[in-house]
Amino acid sequence: MTKWVRWTAPVAMVMSVTSPACAVQYLTIAQAQKLAFPSATGFVEQQSGRVWKAQNGNSAIGLFVFDRVIGKHLYIDYAVALDLSGKVRRVDILQYRESYGGEVRDASWLAQFVGKTSGSALQVDRDIRNISGATLSSHHVTEGVKKILALYGNQVR
Amino acid sequence: METKSGSMRLARPLLGTFVEIAVEDAALPETEAAMERAFAAIARVHRLMSFHDPDSDISRLNREASAGAVAVDRWTYQVLESAVDLHRRSTGLFDIAVAPVLQVMGLLPNPGDDPSPASISTRADEAIELLAAHRVQFRYPGVRIDLGGIAKGFAVDRAVDVLRSCGLERGLVSAGGDLAVFGPRPQTVFIRDPRDPRRLMGSVEAKNEAVASTGARFDPFLGADALGVSVIDPRTREPARTASGVAVRAPSCMIADALTKVVMIAGESAAALLEHYRASAVLVLANGEVRITADWQGAVSLAA
Repeated sequence: MTKWVRWTAPVAMVMSVTSPACAVQYLTIAQAQKLAFPSATGFVEQQSGRVWKAQNGNSAIGLFVFDRVIGKHLYIDYAVALDLSGKVRRVDILQYRESYGGEVRDASWLAQFVGKTSGSALQVDRDIRNISGATLSSHHVTEGVKKILALYGNQVR
Repeated sequence: METKSGSMRLARPLLGTFVEIAVEDAALPETEAAMERAFAAIARVHRLMSFHDPDSDISRLNREASAGAVAVDRWTYQVLESAVDLHRRSTGLFDIAVAPVLQVMGLLPNPGDDPSPASISTRADEAIELLAAHRVQFRYPGVRIDLGGIAKGFAVDRAVDVLRSCGLERGLVSAGGDLAVFGPRPQTVFIRDPRDPRRLMGSVEAKNEAVASTGARFDPFLGADALGVSVIDPRTREPARTASGVAVRAPSCMIADALTKVVMIAGESAAALLEHYRASAVLVLANGEVRITADWQGAVSLAA
């Protein structure tokens, strides 16, 4: 029979533990471009740092749009690849960051997990990655994709 | 993409949240195609089981199944079977027919038709009839179901299946924090403090299993304040008050996902159900006390 065990550390102690910022770099813009348009031979910038035309030789094969949503505690870089018919071919998150201020890089907090992974000291951005809990809504990105589709959907060719 | 030598991690907006897939065989030429297929499996679950998409199996059932049998995809049928089974075994605490209450509370959209008092009092085991050939019928008018408490976990399991069948050896699939890991070595999974999503409560070493959590909802776009609990106690039709958060570890992510809802409502009395599903849990009670099932001892390292 499963038994419950009371975990006795004072709640105040739990509450004093602040998580590190969760930041993940998934893809650079160049990597995302290549994944979205593997057959492209080049990407011609249409709007600086934001819109590229994917080309195979001299023919356009699609549009790559970079965007960012910024909230109070988070920013998300993402990219939308549109095909020639103006349809969304792929949406990738390029970078995701939740930030919660200075104490998040507290070495003593991180130290308690040392030995729990490969034995080496943990680095916030490298090692705190697999986090269970608090489902985050992707609503803002979905809205962004719709906006990009409305803005550029008929401009791909 | 190349975050560590040989590893690859991608994220996409799916299932209303961020779905992340990480694998450690990035050097293989088929890795990228395998990840693509895994995302496609998740997109398929999204298409089939979304409450919001008018063309999903769930929307079709909610519109038509009170009037007659509706054929659904085998995946949808499989999740419905598990949901009905969980409903029975949890003595009604896991209830996919609680959708009308969520609509009244504004937690699910209402496509214009106000749920009738009759539909608010229906229950999954008596309301849903699973027929042969993947057909489903509702026994009462006004029944509305929502797989929000179980489909995300199912999607994660399907993605893991794809990655494994493509020959990948080690990886992780996470749908907004409901995750499963696979591979020969354990992976560290951190658990958010359900009372404050800015904090982590501890970590667990997971191997070929899933960890799912439920607690306060929050939106870091707007701020760090919790927006309340979205698990509804089907007995009272009100938000669960026993616990402020729960993390469940189980062999499958679908079961872990669904059991978080039961433990949120039943608290410590969910012990037998956890055992039946070979699952275990960390439970943060409403009064701030933290309980763990005995089998998490030694496996979980709680921050202190």
